[in-house]
Amino acid sequence: MISNRREFLTQSILGAGALSLSSAKLFADSSVSKPPTRFIFIHKGNGLPPHSLVPPSFSEEQMEAEKRKDSFAVDLDDHDLPEWMSPIAGHKNNLTILQGLSGKMCTTGHHTWCSSLGVFKANERLSSIKWATVDFELAQMFPSPFGHIEFACFPAGGGNSRGNINGIEKGFSARGPQQPNYAFGSPKVAMQELFKSVATDQQAQSQYQLQRKVLEFVATREAGLAERLTGTERPKVANYADAVQDIRKRNARVEAMGDVLRQHLPELNGKYLADDISTVDRQVGFTEVLLSTLISGMTNVVTFTVDELGTNYTGLPGIEGENVNQHDVGHGKPVRNFEATEVRKKIRHQHMTVIDTIVSRLKSVPEAGGTMFDNTMLFYFPDNGETHHSNGSEWPFLVLAGDNTRLDIGRRYIRLPGYGKPGHKTLGNWYTTILNAYGNPINHYGSLDVGLNIDQAGPIERFSA
Amino acid sequence: MRQVYLVCFITLLLGASMPALVSFAEDASARLLVPEHVQRVLKHRCMNCHEGENAEGDVRLDKIAELKLDARLDLLNRAQDQIFFQTMPPADAPQPATDERSMLADWLQSGLRKHNASNLDKKLRYPDFGNYVDHETLFSGQIKDKPFTPARRWLVSPQIFHELVNDIFMLTGQSRQRSFYGVTNPFVLPDHSGVRDYDNTALDGGHLLVMLNNAEWISQKQIFSAVHADKDRRTLEFSNPQDRWYPPISPPAFVTIVSQKSRPTNQEMIAAIHAQSECVLKRKASVEELDRYLPLLQSSIELGGNTEGLRQMLVSVLLESEFLYRQEFGAGEPDAYGRKKLSPVEAAQAIAYALGDPGPDEELQQAAFDGRLIAKDDYRREVQRLLANETHFNGPVDPGISGKNMQSHVSTHPKLVRFFREFFGYTGALKVFKDVTRSDGYYQNPARGTAGTPGFLVKEADRVVDWYLQRDEDVFRNLLTTEDFFVYHNKDNETGQKIIAEWKEAYARLKDTDWKTDPERVIAENLEFIQSKKSLNILGGKQKREFLRHMYFFGETIGKGRTPFTTVSFAHGYTYNHSPFYNLPPTPNPFRYGDVEQKNFKGLDDTEFWDYPVEQPFRITNRKGLLTHPAWLIAHSGNFQTDPIRRGRWIREKLLAGRVPDVPITVDAQVPDDPHKTFRERVESVTSKAECWKCHQHMNPLGLPFEVFDDFGRYRLEEPLESPENLISRTKTKYGSDTYRTRSVSTLGELLGTEDSDLDGVVTDPFDLIDRLSQSERVRQSIIRHAFRFFMGRNEMLSDSQTLIDADEAYTENGGSFKAVVVSLLSSDSFMYRKDVN
Repeated sequence: MISNRREFLTQSILGAGALSLSSAKLFADSSVSKPPTRFIFIHKGNGLPPHSLVPPSFSEEQMEAEKRKDSFAVDLDDHDLPEWMSPIAGHKNNLTILQGLSGKMCTTGHHTWCSSLGVFKANERLSSIKWATVDFELAQMFPSPFGHIEFACFPAGGGNSRGNINGIEKGFSARGPQQPNYAFGSPKVAMQELFKSVATDQQAQSQYQLQRKVLEFVATREAGLAERLTGTERPKVANYADAVQDIRKRNARVEAMGDVLRQHLPELNGKYLADDISTVDRQVGFTEVLLSTLISGMTNVVTFTVDELGTNYTGLPGIEGENVNQHDVGHGKPVRNFEATEVRKKIRHQHMTVIDTIVSRLKSVPEAGGTMFDNTMLFYFPDNGETHHSNGSEWPFLVLAGDNTRLDIGRRYIRLPGYGKPGHKTLGNWYTTILNAYGNPINHYGSLDVGLNIDQAGPIERFSA
Repeated sequence: MRQVYLVCFITLLLGASMPALVSFAEDASARLLVPEHVQRVLKHRCMNCHEGENAEGDVRLDKIAELKLDARLDLLNRAQDQIFFQTMPPADAPQPATDERSMLADWLQSGLRKHNASNLDKKLRYPDFGNYVDHETLFSGQIKDKPFTPARRWLVSPQIFHELVNDIFMLTGQSRQRSFYGVTNPFVLPDHSGVRDYDNTALDGGHLLVMLNNAEWISQKQIFSAVHADKDRRTLEFSNPQDRWYPPISPPAFVTIVSQKSRPTNQEMIAAIHAQSECVLKRKASVEELDRYLPLLQSSIELGGNTEGLRQMLVSVLLESEFLYRQEFGAGEPDAYGRKKLSPVEAAQAIAYALGDPGPDEELQQAAFDGRLIAKDDYRREVQRLLANETHFNGPVDPGISGKNMQSHVSTHPKLVRFFREFFGYTGALKVFKDVTRSDGYYQNPARGTAGTPGFLVKEADRVVDWYLQRDEDVFRNLLTTEDFFVYHNKDNETGQKIIAEWKEAYARLKDTDWKTDPERVIAENLEFIQSKKSLNILGGKQKREFLRHMYFFGETIGKGRTPFTTVSFAHGYTYNHSPFYNLPPTPNPFRYGDVEQKNFKGLDDTEFWDYPVEQPFRITNRKGLLTHPAWLIAHSGNFQTDPIRRGRWIREKLLAGRVPDVPITVDAQVPDDPHKTFRERVESVTSKAECWKCHQHMNPLGLPFEVFDDFGRYRLEEPLESPENLISRTKTKYGSDTYRTRSVSTLGELLGTEDSDLDGVVTDPFDLIDRLSQSERVRQSIIRHAFRFFMGRNEMLSDSQTLIDADEAYTENGGSFKAVVVSLLSSDSFMYRKDVN
């Protein structure tokens, strides 16, 4: 951590106008080959109440400012984290608690589909997908052999269209307008699909070879047909043939990484590869697969739905035998002797354990004179805003970023001006900031909030490194 | 100022010693021929501005020889646009004569087409450019070209795709599925008003990804069915308990392969390939295809065994691009004009898909098979037969708006209704999110499982369209001028009347009893009577509460001389509350009678509810036709404001076959805030500037009369000035509207562009405007043009002139029958003939 930022942050509370957060640029201007930046989006269901992110060690004055939704920033070094964040306490230097963003331009309430990543009103219909979600935009900027990868602890119903929690189903990200992404629903299916080119199991290998054969067949057939066409008819088939070819190329790129993939194969015992798997084991299994894909270089951007409102929670530490209905928890129903708020804390604590695993592991992998985590940003946020029946008035984020991040937000509790106040910022502003910082010059990402009578386009300038 | 024209016309600097051939060193084949007559025009009309170092827009002909082919084609394309859209030379410069302009256009077009690089050709194939074909020329009768449609692939619509999946599983009758667990429809039509399903969409990577998943699921189901043929489904195990459906029958060829342990013979594999080809492509595999598929199947079976090997073959056929395109190439020898008639099989599909979503019925297939689908009369006969058939195409107009509390309107010919819903664009209401409190809490935005208020409004507009389509008389005029609408109307007239009669009888019998104080006794004493009335859904677990609710509901409707809506407001899932958007009184909300059995119930306030017209459609005042339907008005509005410009543009383009250029990129189209002015005044303040008025003159005078309807579609004479400084009082209810000072709405406008001096002129209000439009020949022809686009899947060309004239005559000669238009279009040369233009 550089010192000038630390010094700057000794002020405990800054007014809205004083929140400039400037510091030296942290991104390493390495003369050696520059490693890619990696992004991990982890989102959860059932809301993330803003008050749950407030450090308990805040002074009375800070607590009052928090209640008033005044804008201020605080150095986290001076504070304890809420208990549920204890697994990531060791990463406080890399942590940002970001409060005050709104997302009323998204679908809110119980289920939100692509809303929290796309900043538009979404539902289960493809027609509602307006554009590529922010994770896909970043994956385009930091290309990798496989491209974007999505994992999801799917809900059993409601939040996705089919309710098949172990398959490859429409996820919460989108590739482009009306183009859903597909997410892996279990560690087993993720392993099978992502590492099939290096599978040692004979049946899996032959399955891979069969799929390979079919894709080659289809590519040759469609390309042959396209070749015979001219004028306006040609692209109707040629585009399709090219798309098949693109998938083959992607597979070939992954196949070419065979040796590296074998070195980084996820080490998962049978428990994590079973069909009947607890939610927590599913998360743990996904975490291992996620880490393998990042560390091997298969991808630079992953999105991980750790749960959705409709996910039936099983395996939670302390209440392992319970099948926790998150909707009931959202309505305040206790589980065993635990009040709903306690159950919520247990769930978030579990999420933090997952995040600690990811961050610690990436910190242990050397890269370009530092570690892989130096070039990583991880976002943890709710898919639907501030609570169970959300309306998007707040959209809290935890950010864990390595030293080479291009945003100047680290090791701080930041509360932005409340909804509708001068200087208020939205989810769109936040994603615009990230995209701009990493080279996408978009003026504004996402839909605008039609109810907000302030200038709401553009990045959050104060976060520029 | 010339400098404002950022996209500049290329001027070709051809000096006195200008060569007739400009050659390019890097590409000898890319020579640019400039005939002498073109050189003269260029020199005379363009060189003044586009020459030398100071050339406008930095475009110089003297540099053209240095341009690489791509750059040159880019410039020529820009030049072609400027000439075609007549944006160059600038309006304040001397204009070329018509023949000079067409000389330049022809030269540019041939130069670009030589390289298959004309962007204008591509543009003119898109819906937004349909009106660029000159209307007068189209209907002049002077065009003698023979109509045809270019040979093509036309992407199947979302609805056709769904029917095709049913066909793959060989499902018929009741076994056809409304949805498939594992199939995602890869196609979504655009949202904008106007015809949307054109033949120029290409498959892309997004479609492929969805299809890869679909193909996996479909093939697994096909295999499951083959493996478990003739087995009792109760004994079967399913890998996903939530996905237990599988097709009841399987092609025998699949069963043969999966049920044997030994490798199948070539004959058995060929039979399976044919079977899958018939399921997916509706034809047997060709010899060439067999040559490709057989080795694939053999090697796949070698690698993965019979079952998995077969499945991979099924997947590869499912991924044929042919599956997703309607193929229309024509067959046989071309005629003297280079046109081929559709083959009988192509014709059968073209006719069926023009009229609906399912493929050809048996009679149509038989006609194709028997060689009775060749001549115009054959087409006419089949189209007329299918239009009279009330079952084959019967189905929901738009399953997409169906939800937990409302189902789409069902029609005998949903696709005909879809033409008008696309043409009018009222489905756009589903995409406009509204601030609920501004509607006094009555508006519900679409959300999960419900299309909300706009869903109801769209369905009610669909019903108006279908009502007039079924009558098939003077259809265009009726849709433009009807004062009769459907609102709520979830039961047919007869059922509704029966319900109301029972309710009135019940209320008359019970109103003077002690129903408020001793409801149990009243129920007991009248049990037989209550049981005899099916519409009194009272008896059961909570009969006291239900009885009280009914009686209070009857009391403030029937008891006050009004007819209640035929569904009680406390029915489970009740969501009818949109009558105020027609300026009709509200109906009770679902919570109104929630506390009637509580001891502390204080009675009901004195709200006046709607006197519901059971028999519908019924007359609504201050409405005239679909342009005054709330669905259309909301679709053509913003989140907080009306949108007179878009309303006007719709009329200009859709009814008057006119053109309005897109907003220039240099224009920041913002309506200024001003708390003292109406929205109209604010719009006028910013669009009346000369440079804006050039375009806005084509829209504002047509759209501004509709300011008499607000952005929720409510009729008004006063516009609230919704600004804090005009606030009179805050609402006292949770979702109520605040009250603001108001100003009178001006409804004046002007109609220009009917080419009929009796109709063109100042209009007093939207009703005056609509009356005039409905009498216009040009409006009628414009609708015919859009119908052409809908059924042909493309823009009209000048060569389609005869088709359009015939369709127009069919309409007028048959008393305004839209079905006559359909028959005419679907038996026209434009529909029957294909020509390879590539």
